[in-house]
Amino acid sequence: MMDVLATIIQSQPIAPPQPLYTDNATIWHHMAGALRESLFRVLSLLIAVLPGILAFFVAFMVFTLIGMAISAILRKGLSLLRFDDRLSHYRDSGTWTPTSSPTEIVARSSFWGCVLLGLLIGVSAFDASYATAATLPISLLPYLTHAVGAIFLLIAGTLVARFLARSVLIGAVNAQLQYARILSLGVKWLVLVLTAAMVLEHLEIGGVVVSLAFGILFGGIVLTLSLAVGLGSRDLVSRSLESHVGSGDRGAEVLPTPINKPDQIRHF
Amino acid sequence: MATTNLIDESNSEQTQVRGSVLVLLPASDPARLQPVLERLASALPAEELVVAVPGEIPNEVNGPVKVIAAPPSSTTWTLTARDFVTAQDMAKTCAVQTLLILGPEAESLSPAGIRDLAITVQTTSTDLAIPRYVLPPGAGLVNSAILYPLSRSLFSTRIRFPLPIDLGLSMPMAERLANIAQRLVSANQGDSPLWVVNEAAVAGRATEEIDAGTRELPQPKDSGLNVILPLVTASLFSDIEGKAAFWQRARITPPAARHWPSMSRAPSESAADVSSMIQAFRIANTNLQEIWSLILPPNSMLGLKRLARVEGDAFRMPDQLWARVVFDFLIAYRLRTLNRGHLLGALVPLYLGWVAGHINSIVAGGDPERHIEALATAFETDKAYLVSRWRWPDRFNP
Repeated sequence: MMDVLATIIQSQPIAPPQPLYTDNATIWHHMAGALRESLFRVLSLLIAVLPGILAFFVAFMVFTLIGMAISAILRKGLSLLRFDDRLSHYRDSGTWTPTSSPTEIVARSSFWGCVLLGLLIGVSAFDASYATAATLPISLLPYLTHAVGAIFLLIAGTLVARFLARSVLIGAVNAQLQYARILSLGVKWLVLVLTAAMVLEHLEIGGVVVSLAFGILFGGIVLTLSLAVGLGSRDLVSRSLESHVGSGDRGAEVLPTPINKPDQIRHF
Repeated sequence: MATTNLIDESNSEQTQVRGSVLVLLPASDPARLQPVLERLASALPAEELVVAVPGEIPNEVNGPVKVIAAPPSSTTWTLTARDFVTAQDMAKTCAVQTLLILGPEAESLSPAGIRDLAITVQTTSTDLAIPRYVLPPGAGLVNSAILYPLSRSLFSTRIRFPLPIDLGLSMPMAERLANIAQRLVSANQGDSPLWVVNEAAVAGRATEEIDAGTRELPQPKDSGLNVILPLVTASLFSDIEGKAAFWQRARITPPAARHWPSMSRAPSESAADVSSMIQAFRIANTNLQEIWSLILPPNSMLGLKRLARVEGDAFRMPDQLWARVVFDFLIAYRLRTLNRGHLLGALVPLYLGWVAGHINSIVAGGDPERHIEALATAFETDKAYLVSRWRWPDRFNP
């Protein structure tokens, strides 16, 4: 038995322990190969989408130039036709009074319309080339459209905030409220905070945290303004209520001015 | 007893009413209509007179005057475009040569004033007869501050009330005004006032001012200054903008034809009102600097800052400063420097500042009419400033 074991052991010579790696060049070779492959993929993707990017910029530039030309032609043509003067005879100026003249509004609208069209065509061209490229887990195009929408939201919100702030300021000053400026700033920041929340939600940033923070901030601003108005203008509110109650008792639409009160100051 | 002569407009083909003077009255209670008819009957011969009353003719009406029904009208505190269209239609139906339009509270007009309005148009070459009322010095302040000085400096006319509540018209003038009014009605602006004096000046029509004595001026339902002042100034500024080719030419205002009676007693309860107006001006000076600086040049801003520091009875807005302010607002209205609603809202506290100074000058013993005339002269003197800024808005800005 011992002889058999000795024979088995002797027939299998004991190999010396081998090191963990025997060939350094092989590992570096694999790494280089992996890097080359990834570089190749990225470059392939870039080469695939590069025409799309170029098409985007070309479409954008071409339509911007077309928009500039159309805007200039419209501005010149409408000025020659005296469009503003003709429109002023027929426009109801009591409700909406824009800052710019109608000719300017038409010219600017046509320009920005062409720019928007160029943007859409460019994005569409980019999308077409992107679809044929190598796949990536991240989808860029939908996020790009969300970003454009967010920019428009931001611009619109800023304009509305500025308009409302000015309206409130002038109204509060004419109502002789001492804190007119605070009221105006409060309204402006209310609208700006609302706009910011809408933009972030549109970009899908923050999620519930943004909604919650907006709710707390908005509620705080509203509460502050309510306290300021309620505590600071009690006399104004009571005077306003008294005048409404008094006018409700009078049936006539036109208020007669008694001639035997010559000491009264009357603006009309 | 004289019987009522009520003519239904629907039977006009069979019983066509003719006369030489048509009087268009506003809608009012039957109880207030009768005194007006009595005044008209005492002022003008009944056989020549036709009175048009909006809506149904009340049964209580009696007298020698012929009364016909007119289309319903909305009672306002000033004559609107719709009133002129209605007046012209009625005048054509009745084939009259002279038209009188009377506003609310017409029962307070003197018969002599009504008679003069009609006779001036009937017997002379006058196309437009405007009454001049004798009002307390604290009344009609918007007219004194803005309407009269602007109208006089730009259209070279001395009509004291360029936005009248009563007037007399010849048929050619009535037709012209109705054509203009029809455009406004078509554009859904039927409730806008019509600037008859400006239209007459542009058309080269003869205008005459009539001494109408005292009158109760109707006040608007929305009596807030913050609503009515922007409305009236927007209408006037639009009218001036449309007639720029006319008023930019140099013209000489005719001298005053006669001395007009006036009241000079200061409002006795004015102290509280004046301090309130000064307070409003100061609040605006603190809060509206940013907006005013978009409209007014640095000189005017400096003048307003200095004025805000003046206390009590010494508070007076210089005439030239107020003239420049009004002209700059007119230019900003045309250039659309900012939203027009905001622009005219920002004018209200400046107007209150002027009113406070005007009342202070009356309380100090000054003649209010003399002050208004001096103000109008300041507007005339500074007309060149307006013309320059109108033509070169970017290049000329002192």
